[in-house]
Amino acid sequence: MSRPEEEILAARDAPGPVLRKGAGPRVVAWLDPRGRALGSRAFAADRIVALGLVFYLYLHLGVLSLLLRGQEAWRGFLRLATTTAFLGLDVLLLFGLLFHGLNGLRVALVGSGIVPERHRALFWAATVVGVLVLLVGAVRIWGEG
Amino acid sequence: MQITPTPPRVAPTRPRRAARPTEPAPRSARVWRWTTGSGVALLVLVGIHMIAHHFAVEEVGGLRTYRQVLAYVASPAIFVVESAFLVAVTVHALLGLRGVLLDLGPGPRARRRIDAGLWTLGVATVAYGLFLLATLASRA
Repeated sequence: MSRPEEEILAARDAPGPVLRKGAGPRVVAWLDPRGRALGSRAFAADRIVALGLVFYLYLHLGVLSLLLRGQEAWRGFLRLATTTAFLGLDVLLLFGLLFHGLNGLRVALVGSGIVPERHRALFWAATVVGVLVLLVGAVRIWGEG
Repeated sequence: MQITPTPPRVAPTRPRRAARPTEPAPRSARVWRWTTGSGVALLVLVGIHMIAHHFAVEEVGGLRTYRQVLAYVASPAIFVVESAFLVAVTVHALLGLRGVLLDLGPGPRARRRIDAGLWTLGVATVAYGLFLLATLASRA
């Protein structure tokens, strides 16, 4: 076993709060993918996506404020928002929503004890569903561009 | 005369339902329930928002024109759904952000400040969102 992995496993065995059980600085220990199982990697990816969605929430509210300024301001935004590159950001948003939503549903089902031993199967089922919906959504978004 | 005792109708070994807890759940459990509950509500509300607001429109990228937006939010049913969406997404987002911030290991005083800051941000977000919705609906 490589040395960093040994350090990670030793840190996880040590008593203490969960946030101490990773290698590297405490603040970003949850980000370290080395020696992690599927569920932990999904947790880290989900958290990054979630932070992106929080940023988008406030960006979205800011953009919608253009509506208060009237028709011309909104028309100017639509000219930018209907470019192919900008529509790509819509597809990225759809990916984020699907990943966070489906992974969150998986975590809720496992965490609430409804299907505690099926988290890997749920992950792959959610991946299949997510990819299919993302493809349909991307065709719909770009198809009109 | 010998009287045979009536056997109990319920086997004594049958597990009984646990009594309803008299004390409230710990704070972390309540936060988990709120996060999960708002997340499940969002699965429905985001679906409605994305389909009704974006995918049901025959415009480029599903983006409504100014007049279409006003007509959309003026519908009472849509106004209620969008308001519920605003509250659910704010609660879910800020509880999630709280979890990330608490993982940094702040002390008790910093935790209280984080909670107060997120409450303020949440109330301001919902208030501004409702103001935006009401203003646009009134212009239709």
